Formats: sequence, C-alpha cells, structure tokens
Amino acid sequence: MHARIIGVGNADRGDDAAGLLVARRLAGMGDDAVEFTGEALSLMDCWQNRDSVILVDAVVTGGRPGEIHYWDAIAERLPREAFRCSTHLFGVAEAVELARIFERLPSRLVIYGIEGAHFAPGAPPCRQVLEAVDALAERIHGEVNRCTAASA
Amino acid sequence: MSTSTTTPRGVVNIKVETLARVEGEGALAIRLKGSRIEDVKLKIPEPPRLFEAFLRGRLYTEAPDITARICGICPIAYQMSSVHAMEKILGLKIHPSVRELRRLFYCGEWIESHALHIYMLHAPDFLGCADVIEMTKDYRAAVEKALKLKLIGNKLVTLLGGREIHPISATVGGFFRVPTKEELLAIRPEIEWALEASIETAKLVAGFPFPEFEQNYEFVSLSHPQEYPLNEGRLTSNKGLDIDVAEFEDHFLEQHVKHSNALHSVLRERGSYLVGPLARFNLHFDKLPEAARRTCREIGFEPPCLNQFKSIVARAIELIFACEEALRIIDAYELPPAPRVEAPPKSGTGQAATEAPRGTLYHRYVIDDKGVILSSRIVPPTSQNLRRMEDDLWRLLPSLLDKPVEEITLRCEQAVRNYDPCISCATHFLKLKIERT
Repeated sequence: MHARIIGVGNADRGDDAAGLLVARRLAGMGDDAVEFTGEALSLMDCWQNRDSVILVDAVVTGGRPGEIHYWDAIAERLPREAFRCSTHLFGVAEAVELARIFERLPSRLVIYGIEGAHFAPGAPPCRQVLEAVDALAERIHGEVNRCTAASA
Repeated sequence: MSTSTTTPRGVVNIKVETLARVEGEGALAIRLKGSRIEDVKLKIPEPPRLFEAFLRGRLYTEAPDITARICGICPIAYQMSSVHAMEKILGLKIHPSVRELRRLFYCGEWIESHALHIYMLHAPDFLGCADVIEMTKDYRAAVEKALKLKLIGNKLVTLLGGREIHPISATVGGFFRVPTKEELLAIRPEIEWALEASIETAKLVAGFPFPEFEQNYEFVSLSHPQEYPLNEGRLTSNKGLDIDVAEFEDHFLEQHVKHSNALHSVLRERGSYLVGPLARFNLHFDKLPEAARRTCREIGFEPPCLNQFKSIVARAIELIFACEEALRIIDAYELPPAPRVEAPPKSGTGQAATEAPRGTLYHRYVIDDKGVILSSRIVPPTSQNLRRMEDDLWRLLPSLLDKPVEEITLRCEQAVRNYDPCISCATHFLKLKIERT
C-alpha cells in the first residue's frame, strides 16, 4: 500500500518544526512526503483519496524531549492535549476526530509524535528533537519501503 | 482549562489556563472582591513580533509578502492594506478589473474566515458545546456546511492568490497573474451554493440565545459612498468621526499597557471603539446587496444593533454579502489589459486601511526614492478592539457576580470571542484567571 507522509508543524517555533523536518528528510529520500504548514482543517483535503497516511507532528505529553510516540488513529482516539503545543487554531487531533465523524479518514492513518519542549518564536529545534527527526525519518522510510515491496 | 482557589481571606482566584477558540496566545485575569470588580486585564504575554522593524530596509515591493506572514487567517487584508499604501505613494492607478479582482480576493478571505469563526469558534458557545467536535453530535449538517463553506473560500483565495495560506500573487500595482473568465466561471456554482448556505447560516445563528448586553459603542469602519466597506474609503463612525485614512494617527492613539504586548488603540479623548462586522453592519446596512438585506428582514436583524454578542449574526450577514459580491464580480469580469501596472519608486509616505474580516487594518509606510522602506506602522483590528473587549468585560461582570465561577468564566470567554480576536495579528493566545475575594 503506497503511503503518503504528512509532516505538520511550524518552522519558526522551535521544536514545532519536527514534523516538517521529518517530511523534508523523507522527500529527499524519494518518498511521497509533504510538509503541511496550513491549518489543520485542511488536513482532510491533504489525505483525500489516499489509502495509507503517516502523519508526523510535534507533541507535548510530559515525556522527555525527542521521545517518539505512535498512535494508530483508526483504532484509537488521539489524546487532544498532546497536540496542542502549537498555536494552530485546530490541532491534528481535532482534524482527525472531525474526519472520523465525517468518514473522511484514510483506511490506514498512523500518527507519529515527537516530544517537544521548546516552542519559542524563532528558536531552532533542540538537539534531542533533531536526533529524533533523523531516527524517525529512517524508521518511516524503512517501513514505507517494506510495505511497498510487500505489495509489489 | 480553568481552576479556582480560595485564599484564607476569602479571595477566590479563578484561572483559565487556556482560553480556547481564539487565534493566538493570551490570558484574561479578573479580580473580584465580594460584589466589586477590582480588575480586568486582557493579557497578551506573547513577545512582540516586530514586523514593523523587519520591514525597514526592505523594498516596497516586499511589503505585501512580508506582512501577509503576520496572519494565516487574514493574510489578504495585510496584502491589500500594504499594496494600497504603496500605490498611494507611487501614484499608481490600477485598472478597474484589477480593483474588482481585489474585492473578489477579499471576498474569499471573508468567506473562509467568517465561516470558520461562526461555526468552529463561536457557535459552540451558544449551543452549549465545548467545541466543534462536540457540536457535530447534534449539528452534524451545520458543521459539514461550515467545512464546505470554508473550502470554497479557500478555493477562491487560491484562484486569485496562488495558494490558500499566505497567498503570493498580489503585488503593488495588481497581481502577478490574473484569472481568466473561464476560471472564475468554473467556481461560480460553488459560490452559488455558498450563498444559499450563508443564508441558512444567518437563519440558524439568529435563533441563538443572546444575553441582554446593549452598549454605547462607537462603531468605526471604512466608508465608501456606494460599496459595503472592503478595500477603500474614509474612516467614519456613528459618533461623528469622518476622516481621510491619512489622518488616522491624528485621531487614533496606540497605548502601551503593562499587561499586554499588543498595543491598545483608542480614539483620542474618547477611548475605546469597536471595529469589525457589527460596526460595518450598523454603519453600512444600506449598502448590503439584496439577499443580505432580505435575510436581515426575515430574521429581524436590523441596525442599530448594540449587542456585540450578536456579532455572530452580523458576521453571517457579511458571509451572504461576500458570496453575493463574489458572484457579481465574476459575472461582470473582463480580463484586464495587464495583470499589473508599474511605476518607478519615489520617496513618500502612504497610508491605507482595508477591512479585514475582524475589522479595520491600518498600514503606513515611508519609503525613499529607491523604494526602500524607511519606517512602517501597522495597526491590526484586534489591537483596535482590545480596549473595547476589556470595557465589555467590566460592563458584563456585574450581571454575573452571583453566578457560579464556571458560568462567569464561560460568559467572559464568550465576550472575548465575540470579537473574533486574532491575537496572532495583535501579537498573540488567551488564558483566563479570575480572582474573587
């Protein structure tokens, strides 16, 4: 199953850039990855007509910076508080829940969260988050390739 | 999230850590002592964004793209105020078709922004829902309608501006690219649908329960002899203000207050005033097109309306206006001879104001003879409404003192949301703290 990867975030708010950076790494490796900086309500359009979507965003759960979280958004509800680390009007969790209500979720929607700690305007992502970006990009790239090979 | 504590001396502190459903970051602190309101502060703790400083030393042509970055909800307002100010300096006269396209561009922004605020941010207050997701349980069709309306606004913005967030086609003198008649006609059926959906929206929100809260507001908006205010005109009010936009700084004063990194704009010697849908509706009802006025009659919503809680109805009426205006422009559109006109830079000062969805947005630029920006000033609508929001809270709280903390908190949050504040523009998130003694 061909997967689209969506990296969500804000490049100018410290660790909130994590999702964008993962998407950028994966696009550089030739994967179908897009950086999403628009409002979360438009996410539904971003994954429209896609069967398999992997979404990456920064999260705040109280974990250690750079910790990687995983949710199967089809099987479980997302913890909304975890996705409120950005100043976005609506977060990823709200967009996913609205899509669930309106039956506009893809068949497979995996969410990866990278624990962030610093979201100051203009600040760069912290070292732990940058390390997590590299690790997660490799992990998703491998996962996507395995799925593609299996379905070929 | 809200919490409340009581001190040994009977002081009740109520804190709402995050005031939801506003754009940006801020906080509200209210101190109550018995039946007396001791203090109300709308705190804006986020650092200033310093856009005026970023603009210094940049070329005049960069202003529309730089200022569009101030806001993801109303970037077109920033682009329009900046291009009009620069064109005033250069003495550029744009082609009438380009002028119409700018109004159409603005209609797209009003549709997406008003649909978002009416349904996603404000309606939950009136329907007793925590948020739009809870609202979908009983109002699924309404939320579905909102999503579609928003999408149509986004499409219109993308068609004119190249993309839905921070569009890139608007420039000093016109657009980098203008659409063909066929491209505009292709989106017409969707706007026809949006017009009907907007009328239904107005009928829905007119039936919401509104608290009695009539205030002696000074309503301020742009004023054009024939058009409902969008992109040009004099600045007028219901209390005698009637000035050229170039005189803005003679009449309006931006004040720094300790608790806010967003400046408070006041009318000199008069104080707070109100900009936005309710002001435009009250001042320019007669310029609304037919379907909007007919709907007003049907729902019994006519000026003067002095209750800012009903701004949601005014916003819905403006949604109808934006759709009607878009259809009118599309039908009359003729391709301009060139997408834009150009002129060599020259030194000067230019001021312009346009009507962002949430109110008047003022820009002033000084550029040198090479077109380099020497200074700039931007007064966003939320800065203009901040003092008025605090005044509303001072006047609202006496009627709430005998209510439970949760009810006071909710009503105060709602009073702030009446203004559709874009704290990101003014500088930016909202948390609420109430102290009761």
